[in-house]
Amino acid sequence: MSLSAQVAAGTEAVKEEQEGRKRQLSEGARAERRLGWMLCAPAVIVMIAVTAYPVGYAIYLSLERYNLELPQDIKFVGLGNYAAVLSSPYWWQALKVTVVITIFSVAITLVLGMILAQVMHRTLFGRGTVRTAALIPYGIVTVAAAYGWQYAWTPNEGYLSALFNNSAPLTSEYKAIAVIILAEVWKTTPFMGLLLLAGLSLVPEDLQKAAMVDGATAWQRFTKITLPLMKPAILVALLFRTLDSFRIFDSIFILTGGTNNTGSVSILGYDNLFNALNLGIGSAISILIFICVAIIAFLFIRGFGTAAPGSDLGR
Amino acid sequence: MSSGGRRRSTSERRARGRRGAQARRLGIGLAGAALAASALAACGTAGASSGPVTLNFYFYPDNSGATQQAINNCSAQSHGKYTISYQELPTASDGQRQQLVRRLAAHDDTIDIMGLDVTWEAEFAQAGWAEPWTGANKAAAENGTLKPALDTALWKGKLYAVPDNSNTQLLWYNSAEVPNPPKTWAQMLADAAQLAKEGKPHYIEIQGAQYEGATVWFNTMVASAGGTILNPNATKVTLGAPAVKAMSIMKQLATGPGADPSLDVQMENQNRLAMEAGTAAFELNYPFVYPAMKLDNPKLFKTFKWALYPEVTPGVPAKVTIGGTDLAVSAYSQHKALAFQAALCLRDKQNQIIGADVGGVPPTITSLYNDPALFKDYPFHADILSALQHASVRPKTPVYQVVSIDISHLISPASGINPTGTEQSMVSQLNNALQSKGLIP
Amino acid sequence: MAMATTGRQKTGWGTANTVVVVLALIPVLWMVSLSFKTPAAVLDPSFLPAGRQWTWGNYTGILHTSQFIRPLINSIGIGLISTLIAVVLASMAAYAVARLRFPGKAVLIGMALLIAMFPAISLVTPMFNIERSLGLFNTWPGLIIPYVAFGLPLGIYTLSAFFREIPWELEKAAKIDGATPFQAFVKVIAPLAAPGMVTTSILVFLACWNEFLFAISFTSTLASRTAPASLAYFSGSSQFTVPTGPIAAAAVVITIPIIIFVVFFQRRIVAGLTSGAVKG
Repeated sequence: MSLSAQVAAGTEAVKEEQEGRKRQLSEGARAERRLGWMLCAPAVIVMIAVTAYPVGYAIYLSLERYNLELPQDIKFVGLGNYAAVLSSPYWWQALKVTVVITIFSVAITLVLGMILAQVMHRTLFGRGTVRTAALIPYGIVTVAAAYGWQYAWTPNEGYLSALFNNSAPLTSEYKAIAVIILAEVWKTTPFMGLLLLAGLSLVPEDLQKAAMVDGATAWQRFTKITLPLMKPAILVALLFRTLDSFRIFDSIFILTGGTNNTGSVSILGYDNLFNALNLGIGSAISILIFICVAIIAFLFIRGFGTAAPGSDLGR
Repeated sequence: MSSGGRRRSTSERRARGRRGAQARRLGIGLAGAALAASALAACGTAGASSGPVTLNFYFYPDNSGATQQAINNCSAQSHGKYTISYQELPTASDGQRQQLVRRLAAHDDTIDIMGLDVTWEAEFAQAGWAEPWTGANKAAAENGTLKPALDTALWKGKLYAVPDNSNTQLLWYNSAEVPNPPKTWAQMLADAAQLAKEGKPHYIEIQGAQYEGATVWFNTMVASAGGTILNPNATKVTLGAPAVKAMSIMKQLATGPGADPSLDVQMENQNRLAMEAGTAAFELNYPFVYPAMKLDNPKLFKTFKWALYPEVTPGVPAKVTIGGTDLAVSAYSQHKALAFQAALCLRDKQNQIIGADVGGVPPTITSLYNDPALFKDYPFHADILSALQHASVRPKTPVYQVVSIDISHLISPASGINPTGTEQSMVSQLNNALQSKGLIP
Repeated sequence: MAMATTGRQKTGWGTANTVVVVLALIPVLWMVSLSFKTPAAVLDPSFLPAGRQWTWGNYTGILHTSQFIRPLINSIGIGLISTLIAVVLASMAAYAVARLRFPGKAVLIGMALLIAMFPAISLVTPMFNIERSLGLFNTWPGLIIPYVAFGLPLGIYTLSAFFREIPWELEKAAKIDGATPFQAFVKVIAPLAAPGMVTTSILVFLACWNEFLFAISFTSTLASRTAPASLAYFSGSSQFTVPTGPIAAAAVVITIPIIIFVVFFQRRIVAGLTSGAVKG
């Protein structure tokens, strides 16, 4: 479905809205309202039960000293766990790793995704093949792909390691992070490309042609026409990619397991829960990650203005 | 065999095996395979649907077949009271602990007997997952058992497991380079420096990577210097001067000529390979290196000798860290009485002999070390016994995982140690850990 | 779109196409190659197994062990059930969003968006404790419930976009004929919505199939461990083989459904992805 179709759907919705106003307070409107609630209720209940309730419970747990090995020592410690996490070098190291991975992978993915979108947009020949091929990295199980990268970079076993002088990048912090970013970029560029492709189809062909007649270069056309028109699509794609990247867990778990200072905040949370069995600290880390995500989302959504995702649906 | 630490990448796990157990077991692989095959055949015939209770025994994967053989013996000797079902845990010890802990946290009642690494007992006891041993079972478990091995299973005065097998390190050296093995760390470091000057192989192979092995090294050094890491009830950090001394020796090794350039990433198996390659003069490692050397480098094997672990304080025998596995009964088991009986059977004399012969794991019953026939491939059994009798136990605390990770992160890379400063950071980090305020990376 | 006119441009885009296809496929082909390597060939870093050093052994090995077959069954079962529930619930909500006027719609949309952005790790600690006290730990429902919750936002977004394309005059016609709004939904709209629902089902199923964090956190045995999680616990088909080959083979097996979906439903997936996520 193209965005133009959605725009059309949007205008239709406006029409309906006007119609709707006329029927206000009628019997039908009340029935409609009830049906609306009834239809949404199951989804809302499941979503609340699985997210809102556990988050509330996590906040509660994060205020307790709660080690699974020390069931006798469970007690309220206020913000003690937060103080412990925020004063631990491991939290800041994990946050640094996560931010580095997020910034680099999203930036690289954006550039490559834009190129990919152009390729998919412009070619007439082999269009299906390109899209199908691009969807494979998107669809592939992250863990399966991560094993592929791990073996490829294992000295004496992997073609990539052999290509780079039999190196073992996964055993050193910065090289391992580079490999993690590479795996992330490979996996997510197609998704970025598809989202940007949808945005690209919003750019009227006539405008491009007119600019070409006026003697604008390809680069000028891209920066002056394409980019501004695509801004909403780019922002949405960036928001989803950034949050997705910030949650990175699967590929690090397989590639390095978080050793050599390569653990992300999600890995840190997992280890403190399942290895240290510390529900208090684990919950505090969970809540801090939640707050980070909320801040990122807030900044992006402010950047969107009225173009926030879903704002048209909610009308 | 010890371990713990944290989850590792597959390649690391593979390299490390169960503290070299894999390498050791390769040598007896053929015999093991034959035994396993016969064991499987025996299993097939014993699958009656009613009658004996099935006891689920969660244990590390023992490829030698020794464990399966012990299981068959005990099932047969129970006279129809129980059959033991071998549930293999993951290969890596962190994976083993995680699987057990998750199931116990969910009150899984299908676990009856568990093989616990010697560092997990306090945790399993304090959490209420391991059933304490009392009365006749306790007496039977204690009877004739090596004291340090038994000590690993004690928590707050109660016994929570019975020692099944044991392990410890010796000093291995090349007698072509070093005619007289060093008695102390000072001598060993001096020997290495001398060999380096002469341009001969001079490295000292030890576990310097950031993992459980480094914690084992540190524990051995602190104990040998006369200190401890925590007090017996794990309420206080006790490091102090012995820890500072231990750290200075470790740093001295790491920054001196004896250090292998890859010390910071070395685990037991890399140590073994370096020694086999002939680049090292000394190796501090578990006895699995002996049959491996015989197999891999028969020429060097001729001059491959062993001695007791070097002393930190001259004249005082080193207190080498004990490793191994204990058997515990799950608190959620529905057949506890039978599980205690079965656990005792699995580690009785007969089955420990099988464990040593077929599986290559040192026994925990003292009298077995006097049986010369048992150790025809283990000419060093007297030294192992002596090392085990003087052995030290790693800090016993329910939060051992965090404690161990903190230690290994502070002392590896060893070249980065600053004895007094590192000791202070360790005190503060371990104090946090004891109060559940410690994070693990 | 019609700019690729000159021959030079055509060649240029053709080359770009080829580069994209090659970059996308090389890592996949590496896994496939690895999965056919004998244990000896694994220790040779060349991209393809040399000479006679290729084997089906890794596949026959993993397909004969419950270590992989059982998780595969779990993955399929949990994935299908989660998808079914999520798509049914999401289509109800999406219908309401697309067609009905009721207060609280914006809240629903906002909530779905929040959950789409939710850090899964934040749920792991509390959910672990909740699941172990409710007896849901290490069971199918223990994974299905969070999968449904995380499938819902995707479903609601994608389906409400699809639902707007449906010719709603038919619904009005049905209502004039005396059908209640619910009957109109079931009899008229649902069949028209089927294509959108297929697309949504594929996307939700792929998400469940791919999920790893919950799968390793809320399972402990073969009873409920899914295929991606089982890879992390692989010990190989026999004791003395390094499990690289079997893991590669298992990775290829769990990739096959994705390739099938992608090849047969490429257009639908692209449409679903862009409609669900882009609301510019």
